[in-house]
Amino acid sequence: MTLLELCEWLYETGPAVLVRESPYGFQILVGIHLLGIILSVGALMWLDLRLMGLTMRGARVSELNRSLAPWFLVGFAMMFVSGAMLFAGFATAAYGNLFFRIKIAVIVLAGLNALYFHFTTGRTRPEWDAAPQPPPAVRFAGLSSLVMWGVVILAGRMMSYTMF
Amino acid sequence: MTAAPSQQIPRMAALESLGSWLEATRVAQAVGSSMWTVATLSAVHVLGYALVMGGALVANLKLLGLIVPSVPVNAVVGPASRGITCGLVISIVTGILLVSWKAVAAFGNDIFQIKMLLLLLAALLHFTWQVRVARTAGADGAALKISGAVGLLLWLGLAVAAAAYILFE
Repeated sequence: MTLLELCEWLYETGPAVLVRESPYGFQILVGIHLLGIILSVGALMWLDLRLMGLTMRGARVSELNRSLAPWFLVGFAMMFVSGAMLFAGFATAAYGNLFFRIKIAVIVLAGLNALYFHFTTGRTRPEWDAAPQPPPAVRFAGLSSLVMWGVVILAGRMMSYTMF
Repeated sequence: MTAAPSQQIPRMAALESLGSWLEATRVAQAVGSSMWTVATLSAVHVLGYALVMGGALVANLKLLGLIVPSVPVNAVVGPASRGITCGLVISIVTGILLVSWKAVAAFGNDIFQIKMLLLLLAALLHFTWQVRVARTAGADGAALKISGAVGLLLWLGLAVAAAAYILFE
């Protein structure tokens, strides 16, 4: 089964039809998707800025992470669930959309960046947890996360103008 | 253009004439004639909006006492304030350009009016009250919490109105 065939199949499934045809299904999902962005990117950007040594330099990275993680994880969950349903509803149109492809590629990269940070750079955290200015590798991880989520938002908005 | 029933209400008439003036500007016509310009402006608008909302989120969560307990209130609200300011500049500039070519319709739209009112209230609350209580050493915990709760509700309302405006305009 090719990716396009998978999208065509997804497009015809029950939940996908519901997304397209229920009176306010689409609007409610987009609303949840947008609120999810605020919670996820809105909270995560402050951790990224702290990793870059640009803000709240007196706060421990670990404390900021512990405090913000529940908010950005809930936001990501909202965004992924609503996003997956929206995708199912418009799978074939999304498949051919350049901005959708960019968005998915960058989300994957952002996820890999977070995983890489978690398992390598982040393991040295005790050394720089309280440092106002973390080492270059940490600052770079924060910057790349910030830039990638910015690109995801930009591509997501461009997508809605070019898909329908 | 047909005579609108809103003509009897001075506020609506003023908004309508401001809208028509804006629509007639050369910038508005340039924006409205290019879908790519509108899409790009809209994307940058949402980026600014994310900055505003991110700042509002951490500031109000801190005022409510829900995050980073060992960090002083002002060490969170101060930077968050700069984030909000930066995001507001981006969002307002792109926002004006975005409505410019359909200003009469936008200004007359209920959801748009609610969105602008909530933005005004939330920003006023933040830049007058919250920034001040955050700077006050030994500020009353209850006052901080109330300002955080009211702030969070106003910004959430703005987020809902913003989503509704995108979807139902």
